Amino acid sequence: MEADEEERVLRDSRFVITDLKLNAYVRNIFCRTVGDERCKNVRIYILRIPHLNATMYPNGMMTIWSGLLLRVRSEAELGAVLGHEFAHFELRHSLKGFQAQRSTGDWLTWTALLGVNMQSAMIGSFYSFTRDQEKQADLLGLEYLAKSVYPSSVAANIWDRTMAEQDAAEAGRKRKARHSYSAGIFASHPTDLTRSKYLREAAAKQADAGDPGEAAYREGMASWLPEFLHDQIKLNDFGGSEYLLQQLAGDNWTSELLYTRAQLYRLRGNPRDLVSAAQFYQQAIDKGFSRADARRDLGLTLLRAQQIESGRMALQRYLDENPEAPDKAMIAALLAD
Amino acid sequence: MKMLRWVLPAMALACFAVSASAQEKTGNRPGFTLAPGSARIVLMRPSIRVGEQSTGGMFEPNADWTDQAKENLGRAIAAAQSGLGNAIVSYEEAAGVDSGRVAEYRALFSTVVDSVIVYQFFVGNRLETKKRKGSFEWTLGPDIAKLPGLQNADYALFVTVEDHYGSTGRKVAQLFAAMAGVGMTSGVHKGFAGLVDLKTGDLVWLNADLQMGGDVRTAEGAQRRVSQLFEGFPGRTGSRPVVTPLISKAAVPAPTTTSAAVATMVD
Amino acid sequence: MDGARTLILLAIVAASSAASGNKLISPRTKIAVARSPLMVNPSIEWNKLDARPGRNAETWTLDGDALNDVTFYGGIPAGKTLFAEVDKRNRPLPRVSATMLLTDIPPLFENSYRIALDTPLMNIDSVEPMAFAGSKGVRFTYSFTRQNEEVHRRGEGRAAMIGGKLYMITYEAPILHYFDKSLAAFRQLADSASF
Repeated sequence: MEADEEERVLRDSRFVITDLKLNAYVRNIFCRTVGDERCKNVRIYILRIPHLNATMYPNGMMTIWSGLLLRVRSEAELGAVLGHEFAHFELRHSLKGFQAQRSTGDWLTWTALLGVNMQSAMIGSFYSFTRDQEKQADLLGLEYLAKSVYPSSVAANIWDRTMAEQDAAEAGRKRKARHSYSAGIFASHPTDLTRSKYLREAAAKQADAGDPGEAAYREGMASWLPEFLHDQIKLNDFGGSEYLLQQLAGDNWTSELLYTRAQLYRLRGNPRDLVSAAQFYQQAIDKGFSRADARRDLGLTLLRAQQIESGRMALQRYLDENPEAPDKAMIAALLAD
Repeated sequence: MKMLRWVLPAMALACFAVSASAQEKTGNRPGFTLAPGSARIVLMRPSIRVGEQSTGGMFEPNADWTDQAKENLGRAIAAAQSGLGNAIVSYEEAAGVDSGRVAEYRALFSTVVDSVIVYQFFVGNRLETKKRKGSFEWTLGPDIAKLPGLQNADYALFVTVEDHYGSTGRKVAQLFAAMAGVGMTSGVHKGFAGLVDLKTGDLVWLNADLQMGGDVRTAEGAQRRVSQLFEGFPGRTGSRPVVTPLISKAAVPAPTTTSAAVATMVD
Repeated sequence: MDGARTLILLAIVAASSAASGNKLISPRTKIAVARSPLMVNPSIEWNKLDARPGRNAETWTLDGDALNDVTFYGGIPAGKTLFAEVDKRNRPLPRVSATMLLTDIPPLFENSYRIALDTPLMNIDSVEPMAFAGSKGVRFTYSFTRQNEEVHRRGEGRAAMIGGKLYMITYEAPILHYFDKSLAAFRQLADSASF
């Protein structure tokens, strides 16, 4: 059978992560959530897009964005989101992709027309339909989870953390938390707060148990975590990124997380950030961070923070330890100043 | 940095809705002719995308529509091929060959044609270096001939179709816009057909318009689109050029105020 | 992305009333770029686009900016972004800082692209020292792909911090055919940069 055009295009896309191991791992979580019978009808594509999303198409194609993989904490949480997407498919909802972007885009057009007498009730009715679909999918998704090896109680966690991350992002931009605790008339999805509440209630009724698979998930994502973190901290969202790092670390700051945190502070680059960044680089090195980059980045941070001597020492050590470093000419040029 | 300027096609389109006269739709490389029965032409797999335009003007692909369009256009192209004067065969993607490479050339074709529209066909925005008389110098580069399966061919024929139909939300927006006396065009109906000389990679003939006719989701509409796409195809025999009226112009009330222009731009 | 696009279009509408069109740049004539004291002396003809990526920037092209794009950044001061922000609230761009080292320039450029073009497929491929406009500078190469377009592009940039401001020239084009075709013309332009 010839694949659909949309899917053919996606298959050749540079955004698709083709790593077989990652794909097999994610697919397995999905299958364990909805069962093999349902699972076999779905083709999964993991896309490198650093935002929280997954989409399901009527032909059985599912996309999972890397930003989702970065944000869920366990196999069960990932299963909850994928189960929700699959529920749309099973419920034969007429699906629309890109909903997150769509709502902001829609606002703009409507605002452009605000001079006009807007019949908001009439417009609202178009969107509430989709909102009901979202809730149905949420609840069916939760049922899959309850029947699976995973506990349905985790489903609400994602929405709680999404709200907290948004608040952190706003705070990082020196703004008040703004996310609406009631859905606007144009919102096609229920608010995260509403979602979290009814998911928790539904899970309490199910009263199922199981291992959410946190440790297994950490292990399954280990090789991709640095990549996904790298995409995240480059989004210029200090608050949101710091929140995610703290969530990932819990009370165990690994050398990888320390290094990423150092990068994040260095990118913001305020004088105090540079001091913090230097500390985090040093801590990452002390914990045995494996790549030579940390020594170089420590040196560059110190240099920028006007700690010239210690900065130069770190850079010199980087060059001594990595005589074949691809950027050795650049670093040597800075040392020659 | 691109961002700003890559939205020009949309702007150009919006302007055409107001004054379609400033746009050209066909280009021929000077001196290029093609005698009937003289060349072997390979038709690349057409790029087809059909979807909805949300209220905000965001494009949302619709897989069902795309598949309908693919089927309809496929049939219409097959029917039209025999009248084009030269042997046209469909490109066979050999199994196991790097399909990404072919996809990249199809993407490059679309990007080149976007540039032709914005920087040559849109007269008011034409690049100074593209203003020399009769000049039509656009290329995909000679390496295209290295794609597997093109060795014995003289020309590659690329077709791109992209249609954005209004969604319910958007139609409501249009309704309100109309109530306010504001013009808001409905959708993009893009059709590109281009012939590439495989000896040089140069684009020797191009038909390109962002507002083509024919609803590609229907068989009749697809036929209309295809006849418009191949209008003036070099070396074609028998038929006179089909004159297709400009569509949707009448549907757009002439904007009069700044806000009207803004609403049109949103398309 | 498209919400942002709408805003840009609004900006273009606002700006285009005063539009004077694209201009021909004649070869072998020293010319100031990006509304700044930075001068270049091209060896071939270029087109200067009327639309500017930002207040202190300007773009030249041969076949359109999607096929070959040279952008000049003429002294972006501390606290400013490289190009105009399309969605300051939700996707603010990073800003130039006066304390930036040469090695901080490529990441600033990379992250600005990642955010403005909404793609994680943007990477700096190499960084090396190279004088720019008579000052100590940096040369870097990069590559990127935008969503929904899938054309893989390569780029090269030269930059320096001069008097606390960022001066930079970048060149980018599709890897297929275009990048190599005009790379020499770009390098000549970058080499000719002076004050």
